[in-house]
Amino acid sequence: MSAVRRNAGSYRDPAGHVYESGGRIFRTINERARSDYEAVRDQGILGSAVQKGLLIDSSEVERAQWDEGFARAAYVVEHPRVEFVSYPYEWPFRALKAAALHHLDLQLYLLTRKAALSDSTAYNVQFSGPKPIFIDLLSVRPYREGEFWLGHRQFCEQFLNPLLLQSKLGISFNTWYRGNLEGIPTADLARALPLSSRFSWNMLSQVILQAKLQAKATDAPAQAIQEAKKSRTLSRAAYEGMLRQLRNWIARLEPGNTGATVWGNYAKDNTYTGAEAQEKRRFIAEFAAKTRPKVLIDIGCNTGDYSVAALEGGASYVVGFDFDQRALDLAFSRSETESLKFLPLWLDASNPSPDQGWMQAERAGFGERAKVDALVALAFEHHLAIAKNVPLPQVVDWLVDRAPVGVIEFVPKDDPTVKTMLALREDIFDDYSIETFTNRLTERARIVQQKVVSESGRTLFFYERTQ
Amino acid sequence: MEKRSLFLSLMAILFLTTPAYAYLDPGTGSILLQALIGGIAASVTVVSMYYQRIKAFFAGQSASKESNEK
Repeated sequence: MSAVRRNAGSYRDPAGHVYESGGRIFRTINERARSDYEAVRDQGILGSAVQKGLLIDSSEVERAQWDEGFARAAYVVEHPRVEFVSYPYEWPFRALKAAALHHLDLQLYLLTRKAALSDSTAYNVQFSGPKPIFIDLLSVRPYREGEFWLGHRQFCEQFLNPLLLQSKLGISFNTWYRGNLEGIPTADLARALPLSSRFSWNMLSQVILQAKLQAKATDAPAQAIQEAKKSRTLSRAAYEGMLRQLRNWIARLEPGNTGATVWGNYAKDNTYTGAEAQEKRRFIAEFAAKTRPKVLIDIGCNTGDYSVAALEGGASYVVGFDFDQRALDLAFSRSETESLKFLPLWLDASNPSPDQGWMQAERAGFGERAKVDALVALAFEHHLAIAKNVPLPQVVDWLVDRAPVGVIEFVPKDDPTVKTMLALREDIFDDYSIETFTNRLTERARIVQQKVVSESGRTLFFYERTQ
Repeated sequence: MEKRSLFLSLMAILFLTTPAYAYLDPGTGSILLQALIGGIAASVTVVSMYYQRIKAFFAGQSASKESNEK
């Protein structure tokens, strides 16, 4: 093993850390966590949670094969690699909901086996396609009779509150979540809720009452801590009851009114005819068949038509990006329904996820993570070049940097979509042309194939990066 | 001088008590909440469990009735 690199986000828990080495993922389990780990492992709790698809698989690595940096660990385990690491602030509503239910299902299962989770961070859930998986086995430990649900507040802030924000107020959580990293504070949500929410027991107890008690505790911490210590223990039935109530509640939440969808009905619109879409799907499928990418990103994925075409063509895994919430929710439920290896994520391409958190390294930015095997960006480029005024050569550079091979669609000025974009504003885009586009693309890549797919002159470019 | 410092400390208490400990926040509010509503959550679960059983009982009855009729 050489060049082990500790994951920058793995510093909070002294029980162990995550390392990467040569594309493999290792987790150390330190002495302080040894007994808890041995307990849940030896009772078969970890194994059965893995079998049920609740917990990520792990296998112990023999000491002889350890990197010298691991010498002080009690155990080292290896995990399979997650295809693409994503963060809760990039998840559409349905993905966060699926993650929340998964987290609760894991807890409910663990309780039946007399185990519990030590925390509730949403960052411990990752996705393989639309399927959530819990990645931190060190959060699993034996249940202590009478203990409170210590991760409750964190669960509310990182799962429940963002879902409520979207579901009850129609405000998408992503930007707020990204800014705060730890979710939506209960006190803030409580202030935003309408009076009528006091008539819902769940809302009243989980949000309003919790915010009040938190405020009380902040005002007089010593007294509140005293009170908390004095309070009776939480029975296992009550612990389970809280989990079940939250589960039932969250299972019923649906995304609130997000207003007019920008791209939701895109496929149905007459922007281009069905035959054109067919043509594009065939082009993408052939591209995927030729390049066989392990991970392909589809920027501007909308409801996932071309992601699906790429999967059918031979891509093993597709991560889709879009900024339209409804399209993303549709894409996510499509992936769930059809059991696709397709994960749709939220992205504002003009302001992608930055490197952030502690040391600005805890959560890697989009640029670092989105370096993949192949790229598809159809009907996308003009949303940066026209709507956001990004110079066209920069758009080409940014896209080509994502993957060594890809397909980019160029949308000319005569296209109805661009005409609509320019309808109420001055055309300041003198350099916006297919010549500018191809000039820059040929500086960076070889054009393998080029195909006009619409009467307006929309053109697909299959490129192979040269530099 | 003394009056002034007394005034200042009073002002400090008045204006600083609320935000002063905001950074401590050990999740006490969540624990107090669980102590308050835990019992309710437990009883709701027990009641719904029995309700499900009763429902299942009657559903089972009518199901077996139906199969008998067939």
